[in-house]
Amino acid sequence: MSVFAKYRHAFLIGLQSNIVYRWGFAVRALFSLFHLAFVFILWGAAYSGQTTIGGFDLNQTLTYFIAILLMQFFIGAFNEDYQISEDIRNGLINQFLLKPINYYLYRLSIFGAARLVSGALALLPILVALPYLKDHLVLPDGAWRIALGMPAMVMAALIQFTIAYIFGLLTFWFLEIQSFIILSLAIETILGGQMFPLDLLPAWFFRLSQWLPYYYQMYFPTAIFTGRLDQAQALSGLCIQAFWVVALLGLAQLLWTRGLRRHTAVGG
Amino acid sequence: MTILDYLRIWLAGARYSIVRTLMFRFDFIMWSLVELFWMTVNVLLVAVIYEHTDSIAGWTRYEMLLLVGSSMLVQRFIMGFVWSNLFEMARNIRSGHFDFFLAQPGNPLVMVSTRKVDLDGLANAVVASAIVIYAARQLGLSPSIVEVALYCLMLLCGFLINYAILLITVSLTFWLGSAQGIEGSYFTLMEFSRLPRQAFKGVSSIVFVWILPAVVVSNVPANTLIHGFHALDSLWLLAVTIAWMGLAVWVFNRGLRRYASASS
Repeated sequence: MSVFAKYRHAFLIGLQSNIVYRWGFAVRALFSLFHLAFVFILWGAAYSGQTTIGGFDLNQTLTYFIAILLMQFFIGAFNEDYQISEDIRNGLINQFLLKPINYYLYRLSIFGAARLVSGALALLPILVALPYLKDHLVLPDGAWRIALGMPAMVMAALIQFTIAYIFGLLTFWFLEIQSFIILSLAIETILGGQMFPLDLLPAWFFRLSQWLPYYYQMYFPTAIFTGRLDQAQALSGLCIQAFWVVALLGLAQLLWTRGLRRHTAVGG
Repeated sequence: MTILDYLRIWLAGARYSIVRTLMFRFDFIMWSLVELFWMTVNVLLVAVIYEHTDSIAGWTRYEMLLLVGSSMLVQRFIMGFVWSNLFEMARNIRSGHFDFFLAQPGNPLVMVSTRKVDLDGLANAVVASAIVIYAARQLGLSPSIVEVALYCLMLLCGFLINYAILLITVSLTFWLGSAQGIEGSYFTLMEFSRLPRQAFKGVSSIVFVWILPAVVVSNVPANTLIHGFHALDSLWLLAVTIAWMGLAVWVFNRGLRRYASASS
């Protein structure tokens, strides 16, 4: 079996098993519309009496939040960290140690399949709400935004997944990792631009955030697509994003090899 | 069983929870940090928006902070006193372990809701209180003891409304069998309690202010501290508390009739 074929099979199995949980994703996507309502009410009230905040008008800001919402379903890590943690805790990773399959790539294949399903399902409530949302959507022109935004999105997905993978691997050292995950999620919610566009932060804080991996998870590709970054900023951002992908992959590999030294496989 | 008996059982449960927390101190610190960070997320949102505007629906920075602090305070008490109990209730209904509560010589709803106390949630209630006090001082408020007592009573009403919403969502497990993640809808709804009532217009006002009790839980207590006691708003809060608690108990009891132990 070729290297590509085995991960393609993992992807297809992931696709099937995630379609089984389609209602869970659909309900989650539906609830996300409520969050969107919260965003519209809050920012609508904040904009009353002024035309721009941070150089962007209300519709540009609302477009940003709609794009962030879609990003969450297309590239966000949901419970991959927990699944990896369960594999380690229950000894299920033992089978991967004996087979010619890379556990990271296996999990990444399943992650890709899961996001394809959740992303497609997230589009449904957005499409239902489109008659209302379309009046607020402001997408800037420029083919370069697609050309640079797509690789940014792919690398953002890699960063998302690799961070989740790293948290999952912490199970080699800690019995309970849930608190680490939720703590990281809170940091990611702020520094990933999910609560507010990061460019609204004080200048020094915004500059600092640009050196952290969280910036490149959701905010960066969203900011390219929604016109919050110019071409030069996007290009330099892609270089830093690529650095973070490599650095996180290196860290994941280090934790995997160190973790396996601590791992004890018991039973058949 | 008398109220005193229930209180004794609750105290025993609380004592056990404290001993357990002291055994897993690292967990306690981590979960306290988790809650603290999530509170910081919300405070930071307010801070960032007010860097660019002077008012949200007529509320100034510190009025908004007081509103957010009040909403957090209610949620910290929910997390401290009932969250894990109700969260486990859903799992127990599915697994059949709910039998354990039915076999106890007390009201099943009280027994299931008061089994454990989470200290990490309560620890952050101190932080939420500090936010409210800080905002009140920045606003130059000096409420009388009566107004503070009224504010606390209103937060109690807010607590009961939050409890009712959570109980209704978790009780759906009696019908659905598996309601994994459904408790997330509670957090989605209560997100709206951090917004001023004046921000809601049209349909959103009908849904979140009048039909669902998301806005009343925080806006009425915060308004009492900022603008003083308002009889009509207080009656509205009281009526909403009674109505939603009544509905929650009714839904729970109807669900209980459907419970068929392990095979449910």
